[in-house]
Formats: sequence, structure tokens, C-alpha cells
Amino acid sequence: MRVKNLPLWIVVMTKEFTEALRDKRTLGMLLMLTLVYPAVIGLILHNMIDRGTRTGKAGIALAVIGGAQAPTLLAQLREKSVKVVDPGPLDEADIQALLREKKVVGVLRLDPEFGHYYAEVRPAPLALWFDSSAGSREQRLEVESILRDYANGVAGARLEAHGVSPAVLSPLRLERYDTAGGGAGSSGRIGTMLGMFFVPVFLFGLSMAIDSTAGERERRSLEVLMAQPMRARELVVGKWLAASALAAIGLALELSVAHAILSALPLEEIGLSWRLGLPMLAVVIAAALPLCLFVGALQVAMAMNSKTFKEAQASATLVTVLPMVPLLAIPMLDLSTQPWMYAVPVLSNQTMLQSVASHQALGALPWVLTCAVPLLLAWAAVAFAARRMRSEQYVMGI
Amino acid sequence: MIEVTNIHKRFGAVQALAGVGFAAADGKATALLGPNGAGKTTLMRTLVGLLARDRGTVSIDGIDPAVDPLGARRNIGLLTDQFGLYERLSTREYLRYFGRINGMDQAAIVRRTGEVTELLGLEDILDRPCRGFSQGQRIKVALARTLLHRPRNLLLDEPTRGLDVMSTRALRRALAALRAEGCCIILATHVMQEVTQLCDDVIVIAKGQTVAQGSPQELCRQTGIASLEDAFVHLVGTEEGIAA
Repeated sequence: MRVKNLPLWIVVMTKEFTEALRDKRTLGMLLMLTLVYPAVIGLILHNMIDRGTRTGKAGIALAVIGGAQAPTLLAQLREKSVKVVDPGPLDEADIQALLREKKVVGVLRLDPEFGHYYAEVRPAPLALWFDSSAGSREQRLEVESILRDYANGVAGARLEAHGVSPAVLSPLRLERYDTAGGGAGSSGRIGTMLGMFFVPVFLFGLSMAIDSTAGERERRSLEVLMAQPMRARELVVGKWLAASALAAIGLALELSVAHAILSALPLEEIGLSWRLGLPMLAVVIAAALPLCLFVGALQVAMAMNSKTFKEAQASATLVTVLPMVPLLAIPMLDLSTQPWMYAVPVLSNQTMLQSVASHQALGALPWVLTCAVPLLLAWAAVAFAARRMRSEQYVMGI
Repeated sequence: MIEVTNIHKRFGAVQALAGVGFAAADGKATALLGPNGAGKTTLMRTLVGLLARDRGTVSIDGIDPAVDPLGARRNIGLLTDQFGLYERLSTREYLRYFGRINGMDQAAIVRRTGEVTELLGLEDILDRPCRGFSQGQRIKVALARTLLHRPRNLLLDEPTRGLDVMSTRALRRALAALRAEGCCIILATHVMQEVTQLCDDVIVIAKGQTVAQGSPQELCRQTGIASLEDAFVHLVGTEEGIAA
């Protein structure tokens, strides 16, 4: 009766996969992370790009009340590409309501006595109303800068009229050179967002990894399995590959959806590029397969290192948070790309995706590190899990 | 053929087995009797290599499970108090899974699934997911899994618990047939009727040690007591065996 059949790890993997696809939680997680997650990240990116491209003076709308008293100021604002809107007389509540609409960056209200004070060469009263929570800080600072320039111009003219050189007002002449270019300021943050596409790898197969190890042990069905003519290593490998396969399928679907979304976003305008063809996308996914294998192995090992199902869930949650640390820390520390980054799983995939998407040439080392390090870690985790599975204390819970 | 000599197993401060020895022959059903905590389940787990013994020898058809656990397990069907069903697999899928693990090809799995289905009356639950099965249905599926690959040695821990009368009778008939085919059957049970009807030999263990071995008639003769149940209580020296 005994014949050469399928390797047992394939038998175990197929069974685990079949069971997982019948689990509503696993399927729900898969659908949500492959469809909804890229869409949400796409939306966030869209808003970031939108804000990034609004950092210039163009498009600044400013409501000015009582502007007729200062035609030169209005002319100077318009000259600096500020769109001046006259909302008519407004009280405090009306101003707040106008700011809530977020159509203008601020409301500049010239006091009714502005012209009178100005004529008497006294500080002319005016107020700038703004909503600091609206995310238009740079545009407001630009308006304040124009106002300062206007005030300096007026002061200079007055001094000149009294025979004093306006240069007295300017002991320094500062020139600014911004080398970052258009949207480089936001590209670091957007790079982090690209890295976030790899975080769901830690969630796709999570439920399966825990259920097929800690769950099976808690239900005591592991004892029945281990009484069969099957090596502990074959059992662990089957469970590991099932969890990894789910992670790989999820990632491939998710990156494909993300590709469609990112291709439609004007990333070029802010100095980031998504010039990725389908073949290169396939290469990026293939380069992420070792990550999927590592994550599956890590989750199986963590779940098998736990005494209970609940403890396994807690450990796995910790593992899910870990990859986000470098993704968030690197932009905060303002680190440029270093070779060691390719040796850190997830960070390596993020750095590679960012480089490949902007057509930057990558040497062999980044590819080797991105693939070899997770495979090495996966091997260590599987070896640990297989050793646990051979232990009677683990299987029997004694 | 299962031969055990003087095996010991300790869990921390607890000496679970302290010198069990017996021989269970092919073509015979051997009852394993003992009060709760006597070491019956530990003994079965040791025989299949799930637990490593501290000392003593075990031979399953000449194979030591400590040396070649896979070789020993290929010839063993083990049923313990853990059924090991999967809620999202149907009975048919469950049997196919274990059939493949035991090296059966697809044709053999289909044929044997049909045979154990008929034997244990699984027709109505064959294509139902195991979720929501009653205790009796669960044990029948676990039994089907145990018998599927036609193991030469059967280790059954209370196989009739939770079964209805019809299923119990069907199982007893099946075990009698397997015994006639030359199977070595070890049956841990508390049901004396089962022992007298089905078993050729009885091993009594208490506190991890073999107290007696022989046919039911020999045990009665040895103790000078006509009833096997009373003879058993006398041998283990406690009323616990009956209370269990």
C-alpha cells in the first residue's frame, strides 16, 4: 500500500492552505489588505503630493478686508502671485467660518483706521487670521514674508525721504539656495509610504501561522499528527510554506493594486518616480519572496515558542510592529541610503523599491543582501521550530 | 507483535511508569486495565515514540520506536483521548490527509475510505465539515483515521466511549475481524464486558507497574474470584478502577 507519493511537506502545506482559505478571518484580512490598504496609502500619498506641490506661492488665496486702504500692498501681493479675494466686511465668527472652508490660507483684516495711521506715519494696525490646523503653514509664512517685505519697502522709502539711506535697514543681505528641488522634502516621507506596502506581509499569513502551530497544540491535534510516520521537520516545513505562500500571494496582489494606483498618481511632480513596468514589478515581487519566507518562518517559530495560543498572538503582534521601526526611524534620522540597509528585512525591500521605481541603478550587493539575509534568518527560524516540534514537552504540553 | 520490558518514565517528581513489561501477540486482542493515573496513556504514547522512555526496551514488530520512530509508526494505529479533527475539513478530506501522511495512494485512500465508512456508519457525515460533530461522531471519525491505513498494530485508548450501541457493536465486530486477520490489538478500557467479549489477554497495571498478565480466565483463577471486575479490583488493590 505504501507508494512513492507527494512529499509530506506538500501534503501538510496543501491541507493548511485549504483550511486557511475556508477561514473567513484569513480571507477577510487578505481582501482588506490587498485592496483597501493600497487604496488608503494611495489616498494619503495623493494628499501628501497635493500639499507638496502647494508649497510655492502659486495658488495662495488670501482674503483681504478693507484692502482699498492699501492699494500698493494689494498690488504687491498680486505681483507675488497671491490671489487676493475681497470677502466684504466680516465679523469674527464669519472669519472663522471662512477659514473652516479652507479655500483661503488666511484672512488679512486692515483696521478701519489703517489709512489714517499710515498717513500719520504711525504703525498701521492690521490682523492676519489663520487656522494652524489646516496644514497650510508654508503658504501663511509666505504671506507674512510678503507683508514684511512690503513694510521694509515702506520704511525704506520713508527713510530716504528724510535723507537716510534705506541700506541702514539692511545690515545683512541674505541669499537662500534650496538644493532640495521641487518636492524632495516630501519624498522621504513618501519613501516611508512605499515601505508600508511591505508591512502587510506580516499580516497575510499571521492567522494561519498561529492557528496551525499554537492552535493545533492547544486543540491537542498535534499529538495525533506527531504519532504519524512523519518527521517533525516535514510538518514544520509544510506549515511554514503555507503561511509564506499566503504572504507571497497577498503581497503580489497588493503590489499589483498599488502599481495601478501609483501609476495614476503624479509622483514625478514632487521628485519621486514610479516608472515601473510590469516586468520590473515582477522582479520586485520576486525579490520580496525571501521576505515572505522569513516572515512565515518567524511567525511559526514565535508561535511555537509560546506556551499558549494567546501568548502566540501577543508575540506575533510584536513581530508585526518591529518592521515598522526602521521604516519610521530612517526618515526621522534623515539617513541617506547605506549598504547596511539592504541587510535589514523590509527596509531593504523598501529601499530597493524606491530605487527601482526611480530607475536608479542597483549593484549586485543590494540584490544579494535583500534575498540572502531573509533566507538565512528563515532557515534559522525553521530549524528552531523543527527542534521544538521534536520535543515531547512541546507536543504533549508537559 | 508488541514486546515491552521494564520501561520507566518520569515527569519531574512523578514516576509515571515504573517497570511495565508485557508481550501482546499478533492475532490477539489484549486489554490494558488499570485505574485512572495508572500510566495507560503514557504507556501508549511511549510505544508510539511520542514520549521517550527513561529505560527499558520496546519492540514493535522488531522495531524500537526510540531508534526508528517512523518505522514503528508505519505499523501502528493510535487512538488516544485526543481525536485531532479539523473543523474546516470534511470527514473525507480528513481521512485523505491522514491517508497521504501514511503513504497511501489515491486509489487506496478511496477504497479504504469506503470500507471504514461502511464499517463505522459514517455515510451521513462523510462530506460534512467536522465542526459541530457530536462526541460519538468525533470518535467514529478518529477511529476511521486509525484504521484507514490497515496498521498491523492497534493501540486504542477507550475506543467505545461516547459511541451508541449500534456503533459500539460495529466497532467490536471490526476489531474481531482485524484480530482474525492477524492484527495485534491493545485496548485500554474500563468496560469489563468489552474485555470478556473481545480480549484474549489482559494486562493489569497500577502505579506504573505491571501487576498481572493473562487471559481473563487466568486472572480469575489467579485471584480465586469468579468475576473479572472483582478480580481486577483485587489486583490493583483499590475501588478506583470501577469508579472510573
